[in-house]
Amino acid sequence: MGALGDLAEGFSTALTPQNLLFALLGVLLGTAVGVLPGIGPAMTVALLLPVTYVLEPTSAFIMFAGIYYGGMYGGSTTSILLNTPGESSSIMTALEGNKMARAGRGSAALATAALGSFVAGTIATLLLALLAPTVVDLAIGITAADYFAICVLSFVAVATVLGASPLRGLASLGIGLYLGLVGTDVLTGQERFTIGVPQLSDGIDVVVVAVGLFAVGEALYVASRLRRGPVQVMGTSGAWFTGADLRRSWKPWLRGTAFGFPLGAMPAGGAEIPTFLSYATERKLSKHPEEFGKGAIEGVAGPEAANNAAAAGVLVPLLTLGIPTSATAAIILAAFQGYGIQTGPTLLTTESGLVWTLIASLLIGNFMLLVLNLPLVGVWVKLLRIPRPYLYAGILMFASLGSYAVNADPLDLVLLLVIGLLGFFMRRYGWPVAPAVIGLILGPIAETNLRRALAISGGDLSVLVDRWVSRVVLALALLALLGPIVLRLVRGPRATPEELQEAGTLQRPVAAGRDRGDDGAEEDR
Amino acid sequence: MALLLAALGLYLILDAANIAVPGSTNQVGPRFFPYLIGGVVVATGVALAVRVWRGDQGPADESEDVDPDAPTSWREVGIISVAFLAHALLINVVGWPLAVTLMFATVAWALGARGIVRPLIAGGIASVVVWIVFVKALNVALPGGTILEWLTDWF
Repeated sequence: MGALGDLAEGFSTALTPQNLLFALLGVLLGTAVGVLPGIGPAMTVALLLPVTYVLEPTSAFIMFAGIYYGGMYGGSTTSILLNTPGESSSIMTALEGNKMARAGRGSAALATAALGSFVAGTIATLLLALLAPTVVDLAIGITAADYFAICVLSFVAVATVLGASPLRGLASLGIGLYLGLVGTDVLTGQERFTIGVPQLSDGIDVVVVAVGLFAVGEALYVASRLRRGPVQVMGTSGAWFTGADLRRSWKPWLRGTAFGFPLGAMPAGGAEIPTFLSYATERKLSKHPEEFGKGAIEGVAGPEAANNAAAAGVLVPLLTLGIPTSATAAIILAAFQGYGIQTGPTLLTTESGLVWTLIASLLIGNFMLLVLNLPLVGVWVKLLRIPRPYLYAGILMFASLGSYAVNADPLDLVLLLVIGLLGFFMRRYGWPVAPAVIGLILGPIAETNLRRALAISGGDLSVLVDRWVSRVVLALALLALLGPIVLRLVRGPRATPEELQEAGTLQRPVAAGRDRGDDGAEEDR
Repeated sequence: MALLLAALGLYLILDAANIAVPGSTNQVGPRFFPYLIGGVVVATGVALAVRVWRGDQGPADESEDVDPDAPTSWREVGIISVAFLAHALLINVVGWPLAVTLMFATVAWALGARGIVRPLIAGGIASVVVWIVFVKALNVALPGGTILEWLTDWF
């Protein structure tokens, strides 16, 4: 059991008073920012990344672990207590949790979400610790060509499997790949696409792109279609988590974990598919199917557990292969690069101490979240009530802080605005933003490996399909690319998760568009 | 959008031809990957343009604070963009806190905050507090402006 020994060593680093303080700070910051409406986990991590730059790597990653889980956690509080839908992975939580809060069961919904996140997060993080060394052993033999194939698979998976429109996902990915090209070519030292601007020869900073697309783009988009009028926040009164609730929750927690972790670890990671599967399963297995759509506790417990287990699952390819499969993971990878740490299959051996401390901190942060969040829920409710003009002005202030702090160059802020406007138009026309961030980070890695493979073969392209690993992975990528097109030809346009949910919820024949976030329509029911 | 994307792809392909290639290498140089991406981007842009032209609309992004029935209001987008650009240019002149105060107040005002004085005071307090925390406690490099730097010199 080498992994457990390494993990124990990680704990011994993470459990010093100073590092515990950083973990606490990360958890609090992550939850506080994650709870703010309009800010998902990816934006939380992007906004707080510059904060960690001033710390040394170990402390920074301990804090980062707290921010990562805290941001996930904050998002679910928002979706339960705020009367509007949020980010995609917590839509399922929002649906049932919101109905529970409406029926005066808000505290029970928050409790099952908190406990479920804790159970799922702990199991999934332990699985990550046990699995990571094995995956590294498998990965150590892969060649540059294999690595390129894995990159291609993640590109295709991220662009086409997630989101409603594969073509728009590809478009977004292309923009990210382009942004990744700008700068100096690592292998030959030639400038590419710098349009004569000297500052661009270092490339476009990841913080600027991530903050621009997520924070500035989101602020501009919300500004263009702001929901006016008072903010509606649910109360957290009502009966606390009872024994009956626990009996109804524990199985969904475990099933949610079983969906979340493996699917999160896949190249098409992310939390949307597992949360949806978990919701559908719980509705089928429940002894109270009539409660679904009206506030069934299983419908909060399962998806919430799946969501958090997926967050841990995403770290498997990230820490063992250096492949980010979600926007949040891409930003964490950028943080590794920011410290000059070489990611990839060697990470676990070269930075063993750092990685195990990170994993130990995830477990510690998860525990802190459980202890802190139930008593602090009153504070989070207050945060939800922040007047929206000030909230979005504040988001822009922190965007400015983070991007300026990287290079102390106002040009970065102009670039931030340009990328923010790009993010605005992408949102406006339904292009997903996450593939662009992944393209930006993974693009240069893919290029390096492609050129390395071709240099070895002397330019012969057949090296890319020389080994069975590459062949299988590229075939999967092709399947992911062509599958949706074929399905569309056979079965017509793909239904979105919301439409599937609508179709499944028999007693409520309401048009899909009206169900989401329209207060008036919800009140009538 | 789709046509702009196709144009970006064309630019990638055309400008990739201008990347200098060191003569000695017979390996795959710095142009290969840009050509590859350019090709994919052009294909995606054209395919998407056809789809949009046929009436396919992407689902607009959702967020907690977005009113799904509201039409796009370009006024706010314009004001915020100008305010943000102005603050970017002002930072090195008047310091980060003051530039951000003005940007903060303009954005809050554009989004419907009441009055003019309150957004200004809120922005002022927020930016000065953030500046002190990040510059004095965390050593982030942010110009404070003459007055604030003089006032906090004793830290």
